[in-house]
Amino acid sequence: MTALRPFLLASLFAFLLPLTPAQAADEHAQHAPKTMKKRIELGSAAVFAPDGTLLAVSKQDEHVVLQRSADQGATWSEPLKVNAQPEAISADGENRPKIALSSDGGILVSWTRPLGKPYSGAIRLARSDDGSSFAPPLTVHRDTAEITHRFETLQTLPDNRVLVAWIDKRDLEAAKGKGNYRGAAIYSALSTDGGRSFLPERKVADHSCECCRIASALDTDGAPLLLWRHVYAPNERDHALARLKPDGSADSVQRATYDRWRVDACPHHGPSLVVDAQGLRHAVWFNVKEGEGRVFYGRLPRGNESHVDGQRSIGGPRAAHADLALNDDQLAIVWSEFDGEKTRLDALVSRDNGRNFEPLSLASTEGAADQPRLIQHRQKLYAFWRTEKEGFRLIPLP
Amino acid sequence: MIRPLLMLCAVLLAAPVSASGLTALDRNAARQLMDGAGQGQPTIVALWSVECTHCKKNLQLFSTLARQHKNLRLISIAAEPEGAEHARILDRHAMPAARYAYGSDAPEAVAYAIDPNWSGELPRSYLFDGKGGKQKHSGVLSRQQVEQETGLAPRR
Repeated sequence: MTALRPFLLASLFAFLLPLTPAQAADEHAQHAPKTMKKRIELGSAAVFAPDGTLLAVSKQDEHVVLQRSADQGATWSEPLKVNAQPEAISADGENRPKIALSSDGGILVSWTRPLGKPYSGAIRLARSDDGSSFAPPLTVHRDTAEITHRFETLQTLPDNRVLVAWIDKRDLEAAKGKGNYRGAAIYSALSTDGGRSFLPERKVADHSCECCRIASALDTDGAPLLLWRHVYAPNERDHALARLKPDGSADSVQRATYDRWRVDACPHHGPSLVVDAQGLRHAVWFNVKEGEGRVFYGRLPRGNESHVDGQRSIGGPRAAHADLALNDDQLAIVWSEFDGEKTRLDALVSRDNGRNFEPLSLASTEGAADQPRLIQHRQKLYAFWRTEKEGFRLIPLP
Repeated sequence: MIRPLLMLCAVLLAAPVSASGLTALDRNAARQLMDGAGQGQPTIVALWSVECTHCKKNLQLFSTLARQHKNLRLISIAAEPEGAEHARILDRHAMPAARYAYGSDAPEAVAYAIDPNWSGELPRSYLFDGKGGKQKHSGVLSRQQVEQETGLAPRR
């Protein structure tokens, strides 16, 4: 009885306590919500350390936090604060924190810090040498204007270099009153010391779309590639691919997709990219083509080519936020798709360079879901998926 | 004619309203709202978000049209849970609209209930002419297109 009393007391006061995501979702399943509740921002990312530890970053209040799992996501460590000083953090949809390992073993975490004005942000990066604590975050760009620097991508490179690229509106701001500037711009900054410092940023291209994630990959020779949703004149929201020089400036920028979706809108739906050993560039992206919104897979043009090879739609009409990865001859695509009742995590796997695919059903959830990602460890691919009800999930691909 | 309106009223009464006046939608309320919209009078359902730059152009256009056409009904849905900015932005555009936002239901389910064929791009607009006609559009709209498809101006 004495043991029961604290339990009863706790029950009495339980309604005063914040709900866990699972509780909130359960309550909702039974009744319409009584009050507006703040939805948690699910945007997360994960990477395997060389020893097999899974490292995941997510947002908790005004901190990015790092959690570890030594048992492939079954249990997780207490969160370690990446930014000791609290600050605003974007962690929703296309704008999640990122994690990567530099070639000298440093843990790098990047995120967008929203500033006071609408659409404004700064690209932040923190490094940990030993995984026990992080150095204070730095802003990777020199431009201090309270404007858009958001939707960053984080790509580690050979020789302890690190590339961060983002959507930047300084050129749009400068063009105000001087005519029409389409969309925003892509800028990048390079670190040659494993993310401890960054060289001054450079413009990669004018006229990107405003709010889709940027994809990055390494070309066969180690040169960074960036793929993003672009705004081709007058308002075609197709994709552009840039190959960067070793100093981070643009070597070439070419059109990568030809779906010709003419719209002045925010698709909130960025691409993903991998390069195989033969140098073929495999991508997944979303576009509205001939009036129908679909996720597509295709092999992107190289050089002077102006067509996508093997383009095909992925999943059904509600397929969303696909990611892809390569493991030897295994090319895998994962995406989420709401089926009217729940959100499914589905996959396609190809063993012949994307000509034929085999479908897989990986998981589902009845609550909200983050975008899925594919990660790799010891010649094996895993889907990493954070869902509101179940938390971090790691699903091995066969 | 009466039943959808009654259902809509039932939705409005049942759904939670925040201090700043946005009503939270779960999947059932969203479905009923869309089913009942456009009954008997020209109506625009405007989906938008705080972060969507293009959405503000449509909000301004719809607001202007509503002031000029008294029989035009406006329904605004923020495709995200309500934050501090929503009411301020709607006020800035003088939106004489019923104001909704996503509630705590899974956003995937609310979006599906609004339109199973919508992929989440914003702005997204549904134009009803009040006589059974319904058009859906992604992106910034022109005044001429909105007036025609809501039946406020004769089709050319």
